[in-house]
Amino acid sequence: MDGQEQLMLVMNDITKRFPGIVANDHVSFALRKGEIHTLLGENGAGKSTLMNVLDGIYYPDEGEIFIEGKRVNLRSPLDSMKHGIGMIHQHFMLVDSLSVIENVILGLESQGFFVDKRAIAHQIEAIATRYNFRVDPYARIWQLSVGEQQRVEIIKTLFRGARILILDEPTAVLTPQESEELFGILREMKSEGKSIIFISHKLNEVMSVSDRVTVLRKGRLIGTVDTAAVTEGELAKMMIGRDVLFRLERKKAELGPEVLKVEDALAYNDRGLIAVNKLNITVHAGEIVGIAGVAGNGQVELAECITGLRRLAGGHVALKGVDVTNASPCTLASAGVNYIPADRLGVGLVPNLSTIENAMLRNYRKEPISKGAFISYAAACTYTDGLIKKYDIAVPLQNAPVKVLSGGNMQKLLLAREIGERPKLLIAEHPTRGLDVGATEFVRSMLLEQRNNGVAILLISEDLDEILMVADRVAVMYEGRIVGIVDVDSVDVAQIGLMMAGSTAAVQS
Amino acid sequence: MLRFEKRDKTPIQLRLLVPAVSVLLGLLVGSVVMLFARVNPLKAYGAIVKGAFGSGYTFSETLVIAVPLILISAGLCLVYRMKFLNIGAKGQYIIGAICGSYLALFGPATLSRPLLLTLMMVLGMIGGALWAIIPALLKVYWNVNEVIATLLLNYIASYILWYFMYGTWGTRGFPLSKNFAVNAQLPRILPAPSRLHIGLFFALAAAVVIWVIIRKTRFGYEAMVIGENERAARYAGINVVKTVIIAAAISGGLDGLAGIAHTSAVLRLLQLEINSDYGYTAIIVAWLAGLDPLVAVGVSVLLAALEAGGYQIQIVMRVPFGIVGVIESAILFCLLAGEIVTHYHIRLTRRVAA
Ligand SMILES: Nc1ncnc2c1ncn2[C@@H]1O[C@H](COP(=O)(O)OP(=O)(O)OP(=O)(O)O)[C@@H](O)[C@H]1O
Ligand SMILES: [Mg+2]
Repeated sequence: MDGQEQLMLVMNDITKRFPGIVANDHVSFALRKGEIHTLLGENGAGKSTLMNVLDGIYYPDEGEIFIEGKRVNLRSPLDSMKHGIGMIHQHFMLVDSLSVIENVILGLESQGFFVDKRAIAHQIEAIATRYNFRVDPYARIWQLSVGEQQRVEIIKTLFRGARILILDEPTAVLTPQESEELFGILREMKSEGKSIIFISHKLNEVMSVSDRVTVLRKGRLIGTVDTAAVTEGELAKMMIGRDVLFRLERKKAELGPEVLKVEDALAYNDRGLIAVNKLNITVHAGEIVGIAGVAGNGQVELAECITGLRRLAGGHVALKGVDVTNASPCTLASAGVNYIPADRLGVGLVPNLSTIENAMLRNYRKEPISKGAFISYAAACTYTDGLIKKYDIAVPLQNAPVKVLSGGNMQKLLLAREIGERPKLLIAEHPTRGLDVGATEFVRSMLLEQRNNGVAILLISEDLDEILMVADRVAVMYEGRIVGIVDVDSVDVAQIGLMMAGSTAAVQS
Repeated sequence: MLRFEKRDKTPIQLRLLVPAVSVLLGLLVGSVVMLFARVNPLKAYGAIVKGAFGSGYTFSETLVIAVPLILISAGLCLVYRMKFLNIGAKGQYIIGAICGSYLALFGPATLSRPLLLTLMMVLGMIGGALWAIIPALLKVYWNVNEVIATLLLNYIASYILWYFMYGTWGTRGFPLSKNFAVNAQLPRILPAPSRLHIGLFFALAAAVVIWVIIRKTRFGYEAMVIGENERAARYAGINVVKTVIIAAAISGGLDGLAGIAHTSAVLRLLQLEINSDYGYTAIIVAWLAGLDPLVAVGVSVLLAALEAGGYQIQIVMRVPFGIVGVIESAILFCLLAGEIVTHYHIRLTRRVAA
């Protein structure tokens, strides 16, 4: 329906092979001017790879790329930038210790040796105002929330004159409100004629923001459709190749003895501010307690206190009646406390080590992997094979560093490791973040299965729907405290929303 | 304009090529310097090869140098994998030599030879280990950079040696101790004039043991995880403090052993010059060997040959021994530059208009 000249970008028959896998197998993709185009596919389908080809990070083995009808050769992110392509990666690429300004101009050739920071600060603010958000150009990256960091990434690409914007799972790390704000920004850009490629596993978002959807499966192109012409269910089917059930079997919880008891916990965050403030909570065997709350209200710090990674400045933590306040991570791990941290690559995994070496990270001290002071890598390999099969993790080569796995498959490996060995207490932060619909469904049913097996689970999530779907009790955390805790069956969603936002009226009632 | 593009993977050939090319370039740089000194480099290298491998005797002298290199580089392979950048092998070597020599010079004369020697070696290892534990403690408790701490401790160790040699341990005002009694001399294993000693077996054993530690044990795995991601290591319940200290102690202990073994078997007295610069050469060995202690055995022999041959050309061709240092530094330099080549494609391009 559009003329050829309306196409901003065409990727033709792109093939990219990695050792052990064809990540993109003759994939073609076309992007119109002024459209938001979603790339959809299971974990490991090849979405990030295709976009990395466009960003010049990978050079395709076969295929051609045209921008506005002209054939281009993209050999580095710098090339892509010159052709107006800007990408915001699944894992941000900002330098934590530098300021916003410094990050924005990092690597720009046009900047001379001396930099006029004031002028750049103005430009940054101008870009931000145009899209109705604010950012402090002088702030250092580590001081910003994840949502703010993402905006810095957006500014960075716009500052470089991007006309094609690629966002790889931008909403995975955002709260629903932040996501809405992001969509506002994207729509604004679209109205200016910019073209946007958007990757997400959340079908409702896909339906609401995008004009067209291209689906990949196992490296191959399945097809491109107009969003208006399909339903969520049809998209899911294109993606997975079968129908997905969006329903979970849940039977009533059979409460066992108390496993975790946190009393008057007090802890500081990395900046020395109070993060956990006289907090109390208990979790019983066989129940899932969901902690709802906007990110940054002390959830991560609470989890770290319970797992021994952060010192409690006051209060107590007890595990099955035994005081474990400020016990070492090692003691807690061997006492059966497992933890799925939100920061996968920074805390949960060792990016440069292999899949096997990552899979055994938690139980290399136990038989059969441990043989006295020695490690049986053969046993570790068998164990890893088991996890890969059971959790359907796409691992092209077990000896390749884990950082080459797709985002969702890293996540699955981490989950498999932590859920798999039936801990006493499991603390899960955003366990389904970045997972495709099939894997999400699977992980949630795994959480329920473990709960039925008597595991006590503390589920930390910003996704209220997820909490309502699997948790037995919902606790709302705000500014380091639990401001309310209710049974999931008697929950009033509106009230929870108010509590998450810190409304005292809701808290008192 | 030069452009760097990140590689998705490093081909295996490149991993082998980089060290090989580094060595060649090092030799090339050496040739240029020799040309300036009006020496024919081909002849000089010929003389080096001959000086290092020419006869049974010269080869055994090469091995004499290889022994401390093997010992030290084995320990460095372990701590470097943990990203504990110990460059203090020199100091640990010196302290080991001093501690062991104390027993040789002032210990009870009644001890049997095996017992005395064992005690000397153990004392040397303890001394070296303690000298390495200091920077490890500083790092884990106060976050002091170990590169600086170990470097400075090298100077302190040197001055401690000075203190003893110009003080009570020297003889008749010279900075030389009295000769070690036969009981305190580590046995040599070949007929004179060869000075090759049983430390060779310690060294080979150390290389194998460290290899096993790295590849097969929980401790080696823990050290590697710490090196790659310390937060993940803590999360996994690894005792970071303990692991770093033990690994540093192992490395320092081997350095101390190298110091006392060389002093007791080769020098047979303590003096100011006890070849402690092997502590720096071993750093090059460890990196050239890709932090694999078994490969490091071979690399040690090669660099030892360069040193042994270097002494020869100094005597025979009057080339300054400093040339050897130039070649070694050039090799290390090329290795570091090679890191870039292994991680990036480098392309020559024309500047394109935006
Ligand atoms: N540098 C690499 N080396 C080897 N294999 C790789 C590399 N990058 C990606 N792969 C493999 O290619 C496949 C596709 O990965 P990709 O990251 O494109 O998936 P994705 O669709 O983005 O998935 P996700 O939704 O989980 O992020 C995966 O099996 C992955 O392991
Ligand atoms: Mg991806």
